Amino acid sequence: MPSDDRMVVLQGTLDLIILRTLESMGQQHAYAIATRLQQVSDDLLHLNQGTLYPALVRLEQQGRIKGTWGKTESNREAKFYAITKAGEKALAEETARWRRMSGLVEKLLSEGA
Amino acid sequence: MRRFLLRLANLAGGGKAERELAREIEGHLTLLQENFERRGLPPEEARLAAKREYGGIEQAKELHRAERSFVWVEQFFKDVRYGWINLLRNPGFTLVAVTALALGIGVNATIFGIYNAVALKQLPVADPGRVVRLERWFERDWRGDIQYNFAYPEYQYLREHNSVFSGLTAASFEVPVMASIGREEVAEHLAGHAVSANYFADLGVPTRIGRTFLPDEDRIPGANPVVVLSDEFWQRKFHGDPNILGQTIKLNGLAYTMIGVAPEKFTGTDVMPTRCDFWAPLSMIDQLDAAFGPMEEWRDATAHPQFEILARLKDGVAREKAQAETELLMRQYLSGYREINRTKSITLQRTAYFGNTEDPRFQASVAGVLMVVSLVLLVACANVANMLLARGAMRQREISVRMALGASRARIIGQLLTESVLLALLGGAAGLLLSVWASKLLWTSVSGIFEGFQGLRTDLDVSADGHVFLYGFALALVTGVVFGLAPALQFTKPDLNTAIKQEGAAFGARLSRSKLRGLLLGAQVAVSVLLLMTGGELISRLVSSGTSDPGFQTRDTYFLTTNGDPAKAQVTGRNLRERLEALPELSAVSMGTAPMMGTYSPWMKAGKLDRQTLASYASDGYLDALGIALLRGRSFTRQETNRGAPVAVISESTARSFWGDADALGRHFSLDLQFQNKFTDFEVIGIARDVRFANIAMIDPLHVYLPADGSQLRSAGALVFRIPGNREKAIGAVQSAVGSVDASLLPGMAIFNVEDGPLATQRNLIRVTETFAGVLTLLSLTLAGVGIYGVMSFLVSHRTREIGIRMALGATSSTVLRGVMAQGLRPVLAGTLIGFGASAALDSLIRAVVAIPGSTNLLQSTFGDLSLYVELALVLFVAALACVVPARRAMRVDPMVALRYE
Repeated sequence: MPSDDRMVVLQGTLDLIILRTLESMGQQHAYAIATRLQQVSDDLLHLNQGTLYPALVRLEQQGRIKGTWGKTESNREAKFYAITKAGEKALAEETARWRRMSGLVEKLLSEGA
Repeated sequence: MRRFLLRLANLAGGGKAERELAREIEGHLTLLQENFERRGLPPEEARLAAKREYGGIEQAKELHRAERSFVWVEQFFKDVRYGWINLLRNPGFTLVAVTALALGIGVNATIFGIYNAVALKQLPVADPGRVVRLERWFERDWRGDIQYNFAYPEYQYLREHNSVFSGLTAASFEVPVMASIGREEVAEHLAGHAVSANYFADLGVPTRIGRTFLPDEDRIPGANPVVVLSDEFWQRKFHGDPNILGQTIKLNGLAYTMIGVAPEKFTGTDVMPTRCDFWAPLSMIDQLDAAFGPMEEWRDATAHPQFEILARLKDGVAREKAQAETELLMRQYLSGYREINRTKSITLQRTAYFGNTEDPRFQASVAGVLMVVSLVLLVACANVANMLLARGAMRQREISVRMALGASRARIIGQLLTESVLLALLGGAAGLLLSVWASKLLWTSVSGIFEGFQGLRTDLDVSADGHVFLYGFALALVTGVVFGLAPALQFTKPDLNTAIKQEGAAFGARLSRSKLRGLLLGAQVAVSVLLLMTGGELISRLVSSGTSDPGFQTRDTYFLTTNGDPAKAQVTGRNLRERLEALPELSAVSMGTAPMMGTYSPWMKAGKLDRQTLASYASDGYLDALGIALLRGRSFTRQETNRGAPVAVISESTARSFWGDADALGRHFSLDLQFQNKFTDFEVIGIARDVRFANIAMIDPLHVYLPADGSQLRSAGALVFRIPGNREKAIGAVQSAVGSVDASLLPGMAIFNVEDGPLATQRNLIRVTETFAGVLTLLSLTLAGVGIYGVMSFLVSHRTREIGIRMALGATSSTVLRGVMAQGLRPVLAGTLIGFGASAALDSLIRAVVAIPGSTNLLQSTFGDLSLYVELALVLFVAALACVVPARRAMRVDPMVALRYE
């Protein structure tokens, strides 16, 4: 159960987060992505790891990431995802948009006080 | 877009994606598990912890599926597959249901198919959507073929001044000619059309062989004797020989060069699609048809509207714009003329095979017929719904289990509906096949009537096209939902527990739905009986009017019509009569209206009364020739006939309804003869017995006979005579007598026998309607039988277990049988009584609404009719049989087997 201070991923931001993770860490499998997300957020982000998959398949169909089968360090089979050129472009655009958006929200909130 | 395609691809290859997903999740879980194991958990617990961390695996899979592809489509395919398996598992039920639906949908598709061919299909010209037919609307509301008549100058004016059409063509109405080929002695009746030279070119109709008309071939009157043949005539007469091009054919004695053959599909553009043998240039029309009169007359006067106009819209011009301009041009042109009935507006109609199909009265009658046949479909639906309900008792358990396992109600309803729609589609496919054949049959009989009726040889392609298939498909879809919805809602009612238990419940289980089923069964029987009674009644009414006596001589009475120059009609008529009177083979030669063909209905005024009456023309001796007895007064003298004196003979019904019991002789009335609100006065000199002059189905409510002076010979009249002896010889003599008066009359001349001609036509029409009603009745009887049998046998076979136990406990077969029959037949009997009562009520309603004075025969009671009781007995017999057969089967079952039966 999510405790009160754990946050649910904001609608529409999961794609952005995945793309960013892949860009900075290179090729990763879903488990590693999930682990990384939890680490970075200091466990503040509540994430059902299964919910990663719909986002992954969507991104893959959009051509922003590409998945290939490979082996983990423990010699387990896993599908590794890497960001594509289109993905990098989309990430840049989405990041810029997110910054504008969050800046705007921030501004509104502080002025309203 | 790319994503859409990928999703589609995943629809097709869902299996692979599904396996990959499973692999990936498995890998993920393993990694999680290892992580937990490293933290010191034992493998079992680590596995569980991994699963917890991961979240709901199946839910995640479902989300993945939704993201990956279109889930509802996948579900739909699954439903279809499941439904299909279910249908195959119960072949008996499927067969019965499909048959019922095929009959119901088939009869609907048949009627629609005919309507489609008459009103929806377009002429086989290039890009038919851009071709329009001009239709005029009159201030005083004249309807029918006349709305498509345009005068040549009107055509010319439009052609020269319009800016919206890329082509404007004119075609004459049917022209009858006498044709002879080569050295053949016997001339043959052919029919063709005179058309503007651009007719084929602008309509975009290529020839099959040879050429069409050159642009200038319709300029100089009489100068270009060339013809294009229809494919049908070319095949019939020349067996498709291409060498006839360049040879000649004699039409009315003049040789025409055959220059081409039209394509097989193109059979002309007339608003009444008659069989056409040839097309000639417009400039040859005087040579083809003497009735057109001298060229200057029809070329220059608006008084002769004789042509149909078809036009092709210019590219990019909307129909509304073209219509507005055409109307404006016609108004400009007609402003200088005084029309008999002013043209109010012009519309551009799409080119269906028949004209006037947009007429609301036509639409209404089509809707009426479609309503009757959809009643049949409704019975079929009730049947299938009922069988589904009966069967549902068996499926209840399966459904309850699925719902208990978490399937949503909507999901199960969707699945059940998919199944019933599948069933309906099967039925629809079979019904369409049935209708392809039935349409041909129906049209053949209908066109037989047209052919008998004034010799019109219709030519219409009734084969099914996309419209019909779409209609059948839509009908099947709706049908599937209609009969599937009620059972689906019933089955999924949320009371799981009882349902699960019920199937296994102890014997004697009165199924909770048995009341609803009984109600449906009863209602269905009631509707069937209603259809049966009403249909049967219609039939026996038709039979009685079809065999009724018209009230005048028909067997050896003949009439002769001609198609001569209208200006000379009066003289010609008198000459003909004198010549025929001299023939010893004929007796009672007179002039007058051809019975059942040429009557018309002007308004009649006398005192305060103002009604529409039948009117016909009669010379001296006419009433004698037809054997219509005079009750009082006298008939016309020859002198009165010749000068068209203002006297009249009226029927006894007319006398009664205008003057009651008072003596009508010597009274005056007036008629609006030309429909121009100009009344002419007549004096009553005789009262004739009532006859069925216009319609064999009813005695003329009102009928006045007016003196025939011969001028009516072309428009509404004929020479009427009797042939007491050998008819071939007499007809030969008549032909040569007509030829000696005026040889140009011969091509357009026709001799009819009243009995074999119009009377036979009317009787045929009645027979076809009769057959149609008969088929409907039989159909509803079959459906009722099938439905009752289906439901009853399901109900009874469901009691197999109970019956087995009863037998084991020592019940005799007759007690069991009696019990089953009593239970099963109750709703059937109730339904029969209700249906019987309803049809009796409907009957008296019909009597009250459509009371036709004087036609008592038409509305005779049919409740004394034996055949109806036979039909009713048949319904009950089928129901009883449906009880007995499965009950017997159940009784033969070993009690031990019955107990284990599930």
